Amino acid sequence: MPSLTLSGVGKSYGDNMIIRSLDAYVEDGEFLVLLGPSGCGKSTLLRMIAGLADITSGELRFDDEVANDWSVSRRGVAFVFQSYALYPHMTVRGNISFPLVMDRFKKWHHLPFVNSIARRRLAASPEIRDKTDRIAAQLELGPLLNRRPAQLSGGQRQRVALARSLVRDPALYLLDEPLSNLDAKLRAQMRAEISELHHAVGKTFVYVTHDQVEAMTMATRIIVLDGGEVQQIGTPDEIYTTPANTFVARFVGSPPMNLIDVRRAGDALVTAGGTRWIHLGAVPDQQELVLGLRPEAMMVAPQGSPGLPAEVAVLERLGGETLVGCRVLDAAGERDTAMIHHDLCYVRVQGRAPVRIGDRLTLTYDPAATVWFDPVSRRRLV
Amino acid sequence: MTAVRRSFRGLLILVLVVFAGFPVYWMLTTALASSGDLFAGRQSFLPELQNLPELLRSIGDVPILRWLGNTVFIAVGTTVISLVLGTIGGYGLSRYEFRGKGFVNFLLFMTQVLPEALIVVPLYAMFIALGLLNSMWGLVLANVGFSLPVSMFILKSAMDAVPRELEESAAIDNCPRFGTLMMIVLPLIAPSMAAAAVIAFFAGWNEFLFASTFLSDQSSWPVSVGLASFIGQYDTPLASVMGSALVFSVPAIVFFLLVQRKIVSGLTAGAVKG
Repeated sequence: MPSLTLSGVGKSYGDNMIIRSLDAYVEDGEFLVLLGPSGCGKSTLLRMIAGLADITSGELRFDDEVANDWSVSRRGVAFVFQSYALYPHMTVRGNISFPLVMDRFKKWHHLPFVNSIARRRLAASPEIRDKTDRIAAQLELGPLLNRRPAQLSGGQRQRVALARSLVRDPALYLLDEPLSNLDAKLRAQMRAEISELHHAVGKTFVYVTHDQVEAMTMATRIIVLDGGEVQQIGTPDEIYTTPANTFVARFVGSPPMNLIDVRRAGDALVTAGGTRWIHLGAVPDQQELVLGLRPEAMMVAPQGSPGLPAEVAVLERLGGETLVGCRVLDAAGERDTAMIHHDLCYVRVQGRAPVRIGDRLTLTYDPAATVWFDPVSRRRLV
Repeated sequence: MTAVRRSFRGLLILVLVVFAGFPVYWMLTTALASSGDLFAGRQSFLPELQNLPELLRSIGDVPILRWLGNTVFIAVGTTVISLVLGTIGGYGLSRYEFRGKGFVNFLLFMTQVLPEALIVVPLYAMFIALGLLNSMWGLVLANVGFSLPVSMFILKSAMDAVPRELEESAAIDNCPRFGTLMMIVLPLIAPSMAAAAVIAFFAGWNEFLFASTFLSDQSSWPVSVGLASFIGQYDTPLASVMGSALVFSVPAIVFFLLVQRKIVSGLTAGAVKG
C-alpha cells in the first residue's frame, strides 16, 4: 500500500471553508479513524482522498506522488458508503463482481446492449465467479448471492457493500460511517467483523465516524476533527487519557470528561462558588485553571469528607456499573457554577452504588488522573 | 376490504373499461356495417361479419400497408431520436452545473407553449431551404422538435431521483461515466424511459398537421393523412375509413401493451438506506 500524506489540505465551497489546512500521515496497514461531530468535514476529507471531491488547497500524496488530480480509478481505492450505494437492479453476485467485471471491460463493451452481454459473460468467467464466491463466503453472503438488495436486511446490505469493496483487493479502504444506519446490536457485531477484516487483509483502512465507541474500539490511530480543523491526532489511549483540548475531552468518552473551573489558592483549589479543598497532586503554575476528570477517576464519599460537595441528581444503573450524575454545590449548599457547560458531574461506580437521588455527598478523585486545561485557550496544560 | 367495497370497485373498473373500449368496438361495427345501413341510420350494434370480405376488398384498394410503414417509420424515428437525445440532454441537466442551466430549462417549457400550427409556416420555409420537403426524415425531425423537450424533462426528473452515491460507487468500481449512464442510471429509470417512449411514439404515430403540410407525395403519407384523404366532396366510405383506422390502431395498441409493463415504480428500492 502506498503511504498517504495530507499536507495543508483544504476544502472550501466559495466562501464556505469546510476544511482548513490539514496535515496528516497514514501509515501502511493502519486503521485510521476520522472522528468528529456532524459537519466537521470528515466525510469531505474522505471523499477528497477517494477523488470524489476536489482538493481546494494543499497536497495529497500517494507515496511520493502528488495525487490531487488523479482520477478516481487511478487511485485504486475501495469506498464503502454510509448509504450502502448498492446497485438495486443487480443481484448480490452482480454487485460484488461489478468491480472485477469493470477491470476487464473494454471501451466498446460500454455500448448499449453490448454492455449487458459483456457483463454477463465476464461475471460468469471462472476467475471472477470464484473470487466472488470466496468473498461472499468470507462475509457469510453465500446463500444470498441471487437476491437483490431490496430483499436484504440492513446488516446484509452493509456486508454486500463491504464485500464489493474487498473483492478488488485494493491497498486502501475508505469507509464513510458504514455502521450508522444499523441498530445497536448489529453495529456492535459489525464493528467486530470490520476489525477482524482489517486484521485479516492487513490493508490500510480510513474510517469516518461520529461515534466515539467505534473510534475507540477499532482504531489504531484517531484524528479528531472539529470545524474543519484537526483537534488531535493520537492513539485511542492518548486521545482518551490526555485530550489535547476541552473539545476532545468532551467529545470522546461517555459520559464525557468532567470539566471544573477552579482557581489556585496556595495548595488549595477554589471553585467560583467558594468551595475549597486541598489538591494532593501537582498543579500547573497559573492562577485560573480548568480541572478535567474522567468519571472513572472520581469517587463518591460521605458528606463532609475533603472534596467537592454535591447532590445526586441522576442515577443510571447499567448493571455492572452505576453512573452517578451529581450537582456540584457551593459553600452555601446551593448549585455551584463551577461546572463548565453547567453539566452534571458524573462518577462511574462499579456495581450498584449505594446512593439515591437527592443524597448529599462529597466527590473525591484520583489526583494522578487529573488533566489541566487553560481556561482561555482551552488547551491541555500538562 | 368488505364485499360491498370490492363490488363497487369492480363496477367502477367495468364502467371505465367500457368507456375506454367502446369507441374501438364501435369502430369495428362501423367498419363491418354496409354503407346502406350506415347512411340510413340502421347500423347494427353487433359486428356484421358477413361484410368482412367487402371490407378487406375496399381496404385493399388503398396503399394502407405503405402508409402504415410510413407511420411506423415516423413514430419509431421520433421515439428513438427523442430517447437518445433526451437521455444525454436529461443527464447533462440533471448532473452538471453550468451557466444558463435555468434558461435551458425555461426554453424546454417554452417549446410546449407554442402550438404546432403557429410554427408550421416558418418550418415550411425552413424545410424548403434545407431540402426536407417530402422527406420522411424531415417529418421525424419536426416531431422530435416537439417530443424531445418532453422526453428530456421526464428523463431529467427521473435521473434527479437516482442517488448520486450510485454513480460515485460506480466511479470507485472503475466504471467510466458513459458506462455508468448505460449500466447503472438507465436501468433504474426504465419506467420513465417507457413513459417518454410512449409520449414520443404517439406524438409521431398521430402526426397529421406537419405530414399533411410537408408531404405532397401520396406514397410518403402516413395513415393519418391517408385516412383524411378518404373524405370526398360527395361521398365518404365510412366502412373503409373505419377499417383502415382499425388497422392503424392495432400496432399502437400492441406497442402500448408491451411498453406499459415497464411503467412500474420502485426499481431503486434497496439502493441506499431508505
